[in-house]
Amino acid sequence: MDKSKAPMPNRERFLAICRGERPGDVSVIDWLHRCWAETVDAWIEQGAPPEIKDQNSMNRYFQFDHLHGLHEIVSEHNRSDLKEIASAQTMGYYHITPPIVPVYEIKVLREDERHRVETTFGGSTVEISKEHPWRMPRFLDRPVKDWATWKEYKKRLDPDTPARWPRDWNAFTARINSTDAPVMLLLEGYFGVLREWTGMESLLYMFYDEPKLVEDMMDQVLHLSMGIARRVVQDLRIDCVRFWEDMAYKTGPLISPEMFRKFMLPRYKQITDFLRSNGIDVLHVDSDGNVDELIPLWLEVGVNFPWPLEVAAGMDGVALRKKYGKDLILGGNIDKRAIIKGKEATREEVMSKVPYLLETGGYFPCLDHVVPPDVPLENFRYYLNLLREIGGQEKLPE
Amino acid sequence: MADFLGSIAQGVEKGDDKQVVELAGKALESGAAARDILEKGLVPGIQALGQRFKDGTAYLPEILVSCRAMNRGVEVLKPHLGDADIGNKGTVIVGTVEGDMHDIGKNLVKLMLESNGFRVEDLGADVVPDVFVNAVRDGQADIVALSALLTMTMVEMPNVIGALKEAGLRDKVKILIGGAPITRQFADEIGAEGFAEDCASAVDEAARLMAL
Repeated sequence: MDKSKAPMPNRERFLAICRGERPGDVSVIDWLHRCWAETVDAWIEQGAPPEIKDQNSMNRYFQFDHLHGLHEIVSEHNRSDLKEIASAQTMGYYHITPPIVPVYEIKVLREDERHRVETTFGGSTVEISKEHPWRMPRFLDRPVKDWATWKEYKKRLDPDTPARWPRDWNAFTARINSTDAPVMLLLEGYFGVLREWTGMESLLYMFYDEPKLVEDMMDQVLHLSMGIARRVVQDLRIDCVRFWEDMAYKTGPLISPEMFRKFMLPRYKQITDFLRSNGIDVLHVDSDGNVDELIPLWLEVGVNFPWPLEVAAGMDGVALRKKYGKDLILGGNIDKRAIIKGKEATREEVMSKVPYLLETGGYFPCLDHVVPPDVPLENFRYYLNLLREIGGQEKLPE
Repeated sequence: MADFLGSIAQGVEKGDDKQVVELAGKALESGAAARDILEKGLVPGIQALGQRFKDGTAYLPEILVSCRAMNRGVEVLKPHLGDADIGNKGTVIVGTVEGDMHDIGKNLVKLMLESNGFRVEDLGADVVPDVFVNAVRDGQADIVALSALLTMTMVEMPNVIGALKEAGLRDKVKILIGGAPITRQFADEIGAEGFAEDCASAVDEAARLMAL
């Protein structure tokens, strides 16, 4: 058997792939194939077993490799305890609750035939489509508007609040440390969560009008992250850390590289230096859009694993590999629109990049974002089987 | 006078709304025509910023503060301008298509269009085709600008075009589309005349569609 594909424990395998030591090894990770709740519903209608609403069942059905995101610690916006669906890693609207403790109460303010206006756990007011309640809502109001509202909101961002942590810490750490799956600590980046607190336009104005307020919010993110990371690295084996940013759109970053360097880079450096000094060197960042200009800045602070590399935004995994070599771990970049289109388009898309990226190492194949509901089950299974064929693995059971 | 206009343009370009308001007031006091201040001060400023955005040397925060400076300058001039001087490049209906609640991109396009002399009627987010049809029937729209962020909502765009055809209004307006999954190829496929990558190119596309 090819040594680079020989079986090994999942955690070691994950890290070995990240280090580029297992070229050709296809690891199809559940975390990187999260689905919208509507997608799961559609697949069940198309013949998938209803049990796939549970992540473990979905993993068995699609033969995903499990990557455990530490939802149990309220450390970033991903709050499994707030979801109204069983699956721990399926995306729903409440997914974007910022890491505040306690959360706000949900109140319905008004509704009509098509829409409902309500407050959220995160303290925003949103308008939700009744027909598509799991899609991103329209934000009508945000909790942080100025220094006064920020000072109040900040009180909910204390890393030492007991409710932020699993009640039985010893049992929790024992369970996580004995798991075979790689474990990922979830932290906020320095742009995305501020946007959740303030709204995008307001935040972009604040960079000019209230730079000290922006810095104070970022300092609190750093304080929260450092407080969490210090406790976590003492007791838990962590394989990677994920920063949530979402700070780019179709043609580039939402702020300039100069602003990133001034506001974000020094704070990133503090947390990433700490993580790296504790042996954690797989630092993953989640940002949609075109992040070409951001990658060198992230690399400067050791953040080396961007996802999802959206094709529609011009991201090109092959070009990134040629430019950065193994300095970058890559995830995604398989155009979801091709999987929607059909088998021929899927094969063309996958074969145009996946074999090269796998052979050059440090690549986790996945779509270029969360799997949308217009990806038919049949096409998704075809895509997974194609990856398995490339990796020399058996087809999925019918 | 020329000094005022150059400084006003610089103020708009760097997003200094206080400077723009102050200088626009002073220019009026010195006897400059409001229309000249608009066309030779404010407009070159926002155009310069739009060009920097397209060149990749300015980003969205710069767009926002420049548009704010532009709009505050226009407010100073408004009492001295005729209706024909403001928003006379054409009328654009904007909206995010049915099933899609995203409005950030649409709002930026609206802001840039207004700052560049277009009248904009904003229908909001999650807009059903009939609402676009009624707005075209009842108004003076030259362009209908459709936004979608999701692959599953971009397919609503041809439905809006179909509804306009059915109502006999398709030839009355040009269609301009944009959003994260949208490409020029998709625009061609669904018969939209215009496609914009971002809020600055939306202004260029709108001008092209109006043959300005």
